[in-house]
Amino acid sequence: MSSSDIFDVLNIQNRRAGSPGSSGLTPVPSRTPKPQVSGMQRELYNLLGDNTPPIAVQKGSKFKDKMRTMAKPSPWSFAEFEPRQAVKLRHWVKGSKELVEQQPQGSAFEKYNTKLTIPEFTEEEYNSFMGEKDETKDALQKWNFQDIKQLFDTCKKYDMRWFIIQDRLNLEGEHTLEDLKELFYLVCRYYFLAKNPDNPLIESLSFSREKEVERKKYLQRLLSRSAAEIAEEEALIVESKKFEMAAKKTSSERESLLRLLDSPNSDKPIAQFLTSQGMAQLYNGLLSDKTKKRKHEQTVPENPWMKQQQQFAQQKQQMQQLQEQKIVTNNNIPNDQNQIKKTKKQKQEMQIAVKRKADSEYAEQLLQGFTLEERKSLGVQTHGEKLPSGVYLRSSRISTFKAATQTKIAATLQELELPSRPAMPTYQVVHNHEILLARINSMLDLKRQVDKLEAEKDVKK
Amino acid sequence: MGPVPAKRIKTLSVARPIIHGNSAKKMGDVKPPNAPVEHTHIWTIFVKGPNGEDLSDIIKSVVFKLHETYPNPVRTVDAPPFELTETGWGEFEINVKIHFVEAAGEKPISFYHHLRLHEYRNPLATNGATGGNIVSTKNADVESIFYDEVVFNEPNEDFFKVLIAKPGYLLPSNKSDKVIFSKQLEREEIDRIKIGIGKVDEETEVLRKKLAKLTKS
Repeated sequence: MSSSDIFDVLNIQNRRAGSPGSSGLTPVPSRTPKPQVSGMQRELYNLLGDNTPPIAVQKGSKFKDKMRTMAKPSPWSFAEFEPRQAVKLRHWVKGSKELVEQQPQGSAFEKYNTKLTIPEFTEEEYNSFMGEKDETKDALQKWNFQDIKQLFDTCKKYDMRWFIIQDRLNLEGEHTLEDLKELFYLVCRYYFLAKNPDNPLIESLSFSREKEVERKKYLQRLLSRSAAEIAEEEALIVESKKFEMAAKKTSSERESLLRLLDSPNSDKPIAQFLTSQGMAQLYNGLLSDKTKKRKHEQTVPENPWMKQQQQFAQQKQQMQQLQEQKIVTNNNIPNDQNQIKKTKKQKQEMQIAVKRKADSEYAEQLLQGFTLEERKSLGVQTHGEKLPSGVYLRSSRISTFKAATQTKIAATLQELELPSRPAMPTYQVVHNHEILLARINSMLDLKRQVDKLEAEKDVKK
Repeated sequence: MGPVPAKRIKTLSVARPIIHGNSAKKMGDVKPPNAPVEHTHIWTIFVKGPNGEDLSDIIKSVVFKLHETYPNPVRTVDAPPFELTETGWGEFEINVKIHFVEAAGEKPISFYHHLRLHEYRNPLATNGATGGNIVSTKNADVESIFYDEVVFNEPNEDFFKVLIAKPGYLLPSNKSDKVIFSKQLEREEIDRIKIGIGKVDEETEVLRKKLAKLTKS
């Protein structure tokens, strides 16, 4: 029996008829049309339930309050004034008409209307202070007094506004702005030097025309860069910043690493270890240090790669031996019994010799059809030796010695009037040359010994 | 890789004489049209046989690596004659790399040749032994030629057939104006070296006696 049955019995209209199965305890949202909402907003609506408060409506815009001052407005009067002679203007001034008319009628801005003090001089004065310096400056040569005077007057007239001055000057020929400035400051300098040479400002009157031109050129270049160039420049700056950062990072990392290594030199500057060579040196130094300190750890850490290689080499050797043994057993069976008694090394040598003999026999067989003369003209030779196969230049196989010995041998050869590289390195020549080199080498050995003994003898005396 | 390398013939070697070097001539007012103005000499670097053979039976190509200032400094000559003519004003080391024919299956060999434009004689190297470097003024202004031998140690069987197809080791018996490197020159050089050995042996004997004396006393 559910609540709906009770409602039925009591003849109460069921409000929740449309929601079968819903428990009577939970309030069911009303069917009133509601904006379709989702997410947080929906959750909010659920929390608020049906009693959504109405949006508070603010009253419309409000105007400023009416001014309620009781003070009397101050009087302004349109007064006349004279900024300079023969000019009459009118402007608004605070105060009653009577008061204003009592006050002086000048302009309040008159005090800002100042003039630059630009030197004035007559021709005699000019000649007197420029006289002896005339030849010092080339720039002055082509300027007469009239031109200078005009320049100074224009400067005064236009308050040193150089662009206007350049425009208004009425001179012959073209003059750049720098020309005019240079001349002006030069004349000023001499003028003041003549008038009061102690003035500390004289020094600041020097005008470097070259620098000015350079500066303008530079600005021109800077301003005429294309967008691509600007972008490239910026990219380069970013790149260089990156490099700097990386360098800083590595150096700091190295520093911390060195500290970790408990380096005996950690109090010294690390600059010398910043290269990879320096690092290797440091590592070796530390290693030798450790072996000194701890005698029981004398073995240098083994190189695993070397170990592997050694193993590999051993294996290879064993394989070779096995193969060679096979050949030997095939080739000369009668020797077999003797070989057992021989040492391992001797055995090996025997095997190699036997193998070489077999090879030589094969080579000889190939050349059977040729006479000695023919062989010579072909350049063919059976040397019967174990030499690395491949092609080489005969002259490149002439023996070399240790650097110190080599120079001594070269000197000996020169003494004998023989070249260090034979002119015709044929087999015979090189063969003889090798003999010579070996003899020289043993002679030098002997000589060293003799010298040593002689020196000892001298000491004994 | 290509086909299976042929078997090498052990303990056998084949030598082939070659000469390499350069000749140089001072250019007068007549210059090749494309030569830069500062170039003063015209020179030719070459690799050939002692009698002027082209050696194309064993050599596939020769690569001359010139100074970097030349346009396309690495010049490959892949057909006989293996030589290169250029103009220039200075001497420099030319790297010469000889590539052998495919059948040889050999790596290329390379060496340096000092390009010589100016004549000079080593005052110490008398009686013709100029360290293998023969400078003459007969055909061109300056020549710097070296004799050498390419030794194919243990060639493979295919290439061996190529090598013995024709006699490649033919030196003239006597020196002549045209051919300097000859059996005569070889003999002379051997004799000189033997004299040298004799002198060294004498010196060694003197020293040995000295040593004996010193050890006794």
